[in-house]
Amino acid sequence: MENSRRKFLKIASHALGGTLAAGVVAPLIGLTVHPLMKETVYGTEDFISIGRVDDFPVGVPTKTTITSSKMDAWNIFEGLVMGSVWVIRKEDNSLNVFSVNCPHLGCGINWGEDVRQFLCPCHEGVFDINGRKISGPAPRDLYSFETKIENNNVLIKFGSFT
Amino acid sequence: MANKLGEWIEERTGLSKLLKAALDEPVHGGAKWSYIFGSGLVFLFILQAVTGIIMTSYYSPSSTSAWGSVYYLQYKTSFGWFVRGIHHFGSSAMMILALVHMFQVFIFGAYKKPRELNWISGVFLLLLLAGFGLTGYLLPWDQKGYWATQVATNIMGTIPVIGKYIKILHQGGADYGNFTITRFYTLHVFLLPLSLVFFLFIHIALFRKHGVTPCWKMSKEVLKNRVDPFWPDQIFKDAVFAVGIYAALAGVVFWTGGAELEAPADPASNYLARPEWYFLFLFQLLKYCQGNFLIVGTVIVPALALAFLFVLPFIDRNPSLYPSKRAPFFGAVFSGLAGVIALTTLAIHHDSQDIHIIHQREEAEKQASRAVKLASKGIPPAGGMSIFLNDPVYLGEKIFKESCIGCHMVRGEGGENSPDFTNFGSREWVAGLLKNPKDKKYFGESGAMPPTKLPDESILDITEFLLSQSGNLLNINPERVERGKELALKGNCAICHPFGNKEMKKVAPNLTDYLSETWLKEFIRNPADPRFYGARNKMPAFDKLTDRELDAVVQYLFNLSKDRALVSEREEDGKKTYVFGLTSPRAIIDFKGKS
Repeated sequence: MENSRRKFLKIASHALGGTLAAGVVAPLIGLTVHPLMKETVYGTEDFISIGRVDDFPVGVPTKTTITSSKMDAWNIFEGLVMGSVWVIRKEDNSLNVFSVNCPHLGCGINWGEDVRQFLCPCHEGVFDINGRKISGPAPRDLYSFETKIENNNVLIKFGSFT
Repeated sequence: MANKLGEWIEERTGLSKLLKAALDEPVHGGAKWSYIFGSGLVFLFILQAVTGIIMTSYYSPSSTSAWGSVYYLQYKTSFGWFVRGIHHFGSSAMMILALVHMFQVFIFGAYKKPRELNWISGVFLLLLLAGFGLTGYLLPWDQKGYWATQVATNIMGTIPVIGKYIKILHQGGADYGNFTITRFYTLHVFLLPLSLVFFLFIHIALFRKHGVTPCWKMSKEVLKNRVDPFWPDQIFKDAVFAVGIYAALAGVVFWTGGAELEAPADPASNYLARPEWYFLFLFQLLKYCQGNFLIVGTVIVPALALAFLFVLPFIDRNPSLYPSKRAPFFGAVFSGLAGVIALTTLAIHHDSQDIHIIHQREEAEKQASRAVKLASKGIPPAGGMSIFLNDPVYLGEKIFKESCIGCHMVRGEGGENSPDFTNFGSREWVAGLLKNPKDKKYFGESGAMPPTKLPDESILDITEFLLSQSGNLLNINPERVERGKELALKGNCAICHPFGNKEMKKVAPNLTDYLSETWLKEFIRNPADPRFYGARNKMPAFDKLTDRELDAVVQYLFNLSKDRALVSEREEDGKKTYVFGLTSPRAIIDFKGKS
């Protein structure tokens, strides 16, 4: 009698303890994995304005700083320099916008006006004015960003690139 | 395999022997429900520890980031509100349970020889709990915590001779700032928990040494002959109680929506501070100790009460556990308890009657929800308060208080010559105006409009129609609008007021788009325009306000009523576009470089 009562108490205590532990731990795990469920650091603008069309001379790559805002958990950082891009305005007023980072190892590439090519100083990568790889170790052409022009304003989609 | 591993560990650690020794503790006189409080406290302490540890991974202890990080935890994570709620109400539960435990120990006489040190370590634990409550209250760096803690640190300052230094040491300087938070944080998450574990260890070890003190009615024979094992007899009861505590806490958290987070601390505001409920009796006591007697309430009475608790086991040396033989001590302890309850009740009662405090609570609630809305667009690095700097409502209130409050009253504050703007632009306000424009609250005797002699329902219909034109009325009732429109256009209103054409002029103000953003702006710029009051106008024109200021005033006016949406709230929340670290070329290159 006494033994079966204790047996029951043991099982019941285990069950209660297990339920309690699960009830306490579940929300704690839910809270801990929050960064896996939700982005915590992100840009607030889809298309970022980088200037007016006339700011970019035709046929001459211009290095431009990208300024936008970033959400970092609870904080918003405005007027933040996000990076730079090379902007090339073509004859027909359409634009090519390339990342300044070489697709090889991310060094900053320069425009060589004399040879009219993009040159990477790290491993001698060479790209033409349309971003196509000419020589060097890079696995691909320059990264380029989607652009659009609204009211003569140049906007680039800094978040995604091809 | 598992068995072998178990044996291997056992050989080297003796763990299961240790556990067995801990669990097989004999409970003399039998397991009892009256012994559950101590273990309930241990459970709550573990609960506070684990919820606290997880919350520290979200909390940022500085005066510019504390509020924002708590805001993020509370509103932007899925379980943050729940975990914080459990931690918040868990602290109250601990305080309640600690007092119940203490009184149970007192009534059972469990502090008597040889258990004096057990009692004393318990008093230390109670003090530590109060310390947890005090330090934790400040950490969100919201209005409530900031101002209530000011009172506490000022009380420290009243201790003779050393008070001033103790205060500066706690604050980390002459005034509140970053070091106040870092110091309170250090106390709350390192020093107090370590001290608590230390005293708890002593407390439990001594309890194990001396065993339970059963009710005085239990005979010596029963105490000697009836022995239950701690596991599972007592643990089962403890487990039931722990589950009960957690269920109750979770219930309270769901019912209340979790712990409050008020607006960010504003050192320039005049917030009426109130401490957490378990300190209210001390707070009330201070009200009776004014001027030179302040120290009586801040230092002398609490010190005497504490001293009494510490020496209780040494002055009550009668070994009998019968309450009837300990009457003076029962008298002293329970009159102390009655005093604490009376003071707490007085404090709560006073606050519930004080109109200033009621107003301030409403205001604080409103400001808190405003702060949460503004914060969802991101908090500038300058800190929690900076969300208000670009807030039109905040600016609007400032301008209103500079330029309008001389004539227009809001919530009992301001002039009486012009309409009272409490609840301005709400259904209630407009309906009241229609009913009796000559009321003191509206135009008084100078009003030219006669009262609308219609049944209340029809007045509400007209109100709904009038306000529906503004474009930001919440929860519009379309049937009412239709009926109201009919009444207004076909009834007497349209004789004096133009409707449907902004430029039309009649003897009374044009009510096309009544109380909309544009209507209000044009009105404020020039109330004497023939479209509005014309020659009968008495209000000065505010045509010097900039667009931004005017916009702010209108937003503030909208904000006065719960029936209207703010223009700024109609905008989308800050939208997420791309994610740092996942899409920048550099990150991808790094990844490729490694692979």
